Amino acid sequence: MDTAALTAWIREFARLIAQEKQRLTELDSAIGDGDHGVNMDRGLTAVVSALEAEPPDSPSALLKKVGMTLISKVGGASGPLYGTAFLRMAAAAGDSVELGKVLRAGLDGVTARGKAEPGDKTMVDALTPAVAVLEGGGSIEDAARAADEGRDATIPMVARKGRASYLGERSAGHLDPGATSAALLLRAAATTLGDGA
Amino acid sequence: MVGLVVVSHSRPLARAAVALAAEMTKGRPLAVEIAAGLDDLDEQTYGTDALAITEAITAADSGDGVVVLMDLGSAVLSAETALELLDDEVREKVVLCPAPLVEGLIAATVAAASGAGRDEVAAEAMAGLAGKESQLGPAPSSASPSLPQEHDGLSATVTVSHPHGLHARPAARLVAEARSFDGALVQLRNATTGSGWVPATSLSRVATLGALQGHDVEIRASGVRAREALGRVAALVVADEASLSTGAVGPTAASPGVAVGPAVHLRETPINLPDHPSLGPEPERQRLTQALDETRRAIAQIRSAEPGIFDAHLLLLDDLVPAADSLIAQGLPAPRAWQTATTDLAADFDSLTDPYQRARAADVRAVGDQVLRALIGAPAPAVTTDAPTGDDAPPAAAGGGVLIAADLTPARAALLDPSRVAGVLLAAGSPTSHAAILIRTRGLPAVVGAGPDVLDIPAGTEIALDGTAGEFAVAPPPPVLASFRERASHEAALRTAARSHASEPAVTVDGVTVAVGANIGDVGDARAAAANGADLAGLVRTEFLFQDRATAPGVDEQVAVYRRIAEALGGRRVTLRTLDAGSDKPVPYLPAPAEANPFLGVRGLRLSLLHPDVFADQLLAVVRVAREAPVSLMFPMVTTVDELRRARLLLDEAVARDGAGRPPDLRVGMMVEVPAAALRAADFVPYADFLSVGTNDLTQYTLAAERGNAALASLASGLDPAVERLVGEVCRAAGDRVPVAVCGELAADERAVPRLLAAGVRQLSVAPALVPLVKQTVRCVEVPR
Repeated sequence: MDTAALTAWIREFARLIAQEKQRLTELDSAIGDGDHGVNMDRGLTAVVSALEAEPPDSPSALLKKVGMTLISKVGGASGPLYGTAFLRMAAAAGDSVELGKVLRAGLDGVTARGKAEPGDKTMVDALTPAVAVLEGGGSIEDAARAADEGRDATIPMVARKGRASYLGERSAGHLDPGATSAALLLRAAATTLGDGA
Repeated sequence: MVGLVVVSHSRPLARAAVALAAEMTKGRPLAVEIAAGLDDLDEQTYGTDALAITEAITAADSGDGVVVLMDLGSAVLSAETALELLDDEVREKVVLCPAPLVEGLIAATVAAASGAGRDEVAAEAMAGLAGKESQLGPAPSSASPSLPQEHDGLSATVTVSHPHGLHARPAARLVAEARSFDGALVQLRNATTGSGWVPATSLSRVATLGALQGHDVEIRASGVRAREALGRVAALVVADEASLSTGAVGPTAASPGVAVGPAVHLRETPINLPDHPSLGPEPERQRLTQALDETRRAIAQIRSAEPGIFDAHLLLLDDLVPAADSLIAQGLPAPRAWQTATTDLAADFDSLTDPYQRARAADVRAVGDQVLRALIGAPAPAVTTDAPTGDDAPPAAAGGGVLIAADLTPARAALLDPSRVAGVLLAAGSPTSHAAILIRTRGLPAVVGAGPDVLDIPAGTEIALDGTAGEFAVAPPPPVLASFRERASHEAALRTAARSHASEPAVTVDGVTVAVGANIGDVGDARAAAANGADLAGLVRTEFLFQDRATAPGVDEQVAVYRRIAEALGGRRVTLRTLDAGSDKPVPYLPAPAEANPFLGVRGLRLSLLHPDVFADQLLAVVRVAREAPVSLMFPMVTTVDELRRARLLLDEAVARDGAGRPPDLRVGMMVEVPAAALRAADFVPYADFLSVGTNDLTQYTLAAERGNAALASLASGLDPAVERLVGEVCRAAGDRVPVAVCGELAADERAVPRLLAAGVRQLSVAPALVPLVKQTVRCVEVPR
């Protein structure tokens, strides 16, 4: 998995976010401050521009550029969370990237930054089962499906982190926007990195 | 200086918060950086940027580190991310502070501007919520860390004596002290307001106690050195060393005599306001009226001890009633309304720039407290034998203890029971304070300005004090105790001799007769003066007739009262001083303009000349009484010869108005209390039958030292050489033509009397109870020729 493949993954993630921007914002409007779609789209648009302006020469440099751009441009909590994930992924990446290993590092970064645990109705709920699948030797497609299931499992959950936690019990019954965008990250990986890519 | 970084989703919010906080430091330099909103977007886009935060931290750091305050959500996560991006040596100096943004920023700004370290700045920011919590009570689900309510350490309750309460410098001093005991946990609460416990190590939490002068503060301490920590903090709640030592005098003689006895402490039951809702404006107003009546009666009973002080208290009650009434009308119960009204008025006085006016806040609190206790039926302050640190000290004997307190309000001083209290030892105070004057009239020996350590003396410890020399000893060894006892027996012998010779004339060793008179504030004093053998009334303060009423007394009323005084004195000469009012002793119907410095304002004769109608009535009353008894008329606060001449012209008019010619035995004189008058005494002599030096005012004007100011006690006490020279000047100018009297506090000072007589003074006038002793003092003097 080289720099070009990773670039394709990130571009696909950016495309999916742009495509789902409206829906993410609607989900966030229900239980948060309604800016998740806009914020993520702004951040990833900046990421794509940065990658085009100065293509990184290694997987590690690429992941770091993604992380730094996200922490600066997203604006909302997903900025430092996704940004930290990519920075930790950059630190874990060697010359060649093993997706399960770097996603584990990224997930640990998100958990450390957001202090969220599975069940808190956050992006951790989508990422955790996906990383588990990859670490168990599953395919990226399986991981993406596990992320989708994890995302859907957030519907009955009561938010315990972030702006949605202010709603308490009223946050139950809604899909978590963070888990939804995290599932898109895995979906993008399955599309661009799957089948031995 | 510690730098601050404000992280917010909104740039306008961050800017406004910084502007609000900057109000607190008024131009002092601050290092505050903002990382808020998204860099390249318009002001209205919310968001946080970890890179911008790292830049702000770098910009704010001048070497002392940075405290970062943030709003919520991504602001916190971005700040943490930013921290990760910083170099190790910078990161070590950055504190991400979880305080609420606005409140925390204000507290942090104040702390940073005052040079606090970053941990302290962060701690202050964290305590920023305390103000709201103490006002509103903690939120039902408050997650704020609460201090343990269970407590098994030591505790004490002390009364705040700082004039401005436990704020600013006194509070900072206390916090510094508390922090020096890192092994002990020291906590404070304001027992008077019923506040919660706060750590003594937090400046902003201590400030939320709102501990004002006179409030009781409960202190508890646990851990190693708890006892020591408790003692130090308790002493600083009462009065910090700096404020006591500004006079640089140490223990000061305040009331003559020697006392030996066990230490007893003044203890007040804290006032806990009941939580009952208002019963409706009318019943609440009635409750207040009853409490006011009760307080007025109580003040009336002690008023004669020092009428000027207590008349001012009565006036303050009247000032407070309309504010309390309107709060009652708004639905507050009477106690809450009264407390609010007194707190507000005291705060108004506190905020004035004039120290004399500010000092009246203490009067407001003292009298407000008295009414509040009457309202809720709380017991009056009592002398107890409880040790301040909870020591299991032996109980003091039933009578004759030495009372130890930070300071005393006039009402407390007036109520001291000589059968239970042998002497008074005050940590603060000055010999010229109202309390000291009242202690002297009670005849109790007293030492003031003894320092806060005396408050730690366990109850029951033997104390010896000499109020003549200004000395005291704690648990004195036998030889020292013997010396005090010897002085005590000498004093006792002197008193006995003085009493048995009270009615005899005071003649010096070398045969000079000195008239010893009494200073009189009402008819009761006149009787006391006669009973104590006074040769005359050297000063009748006629203010008591004029104060605490809506209109001036008429001629007939004044004649009746002056006549009763003359009758009580049984033919002795009566020196009636015309009204000595001013904005320091206001009279409602003689409005004086607000003055920055009432002691240098329109007072005494200056005020009377401004109100010739009221003055004319008083002069006419004096003329009429002078036909029946030997009367001297005396004008206060004369500065120029012209004033004296104008006053005499008005007297001539009064004589003409009376229509019976000038009373043959009426003498006319003046007070010499302005240095200008003392220096030009020779110019006044042709217009005066006598001169009477008011040493209290002459001293404060000559030394530019207000006599109630404890910090200036060393300047305002005793016979200063400069004042002595002025008295000598007056006596030289008077020569054999007119007699010179002294009617200030110095006339009763046994060290001053020989010098006053040597200067040429031939008449002394003192408090009625002191007449026998002063006569005895005179009998021991040899006047140099």
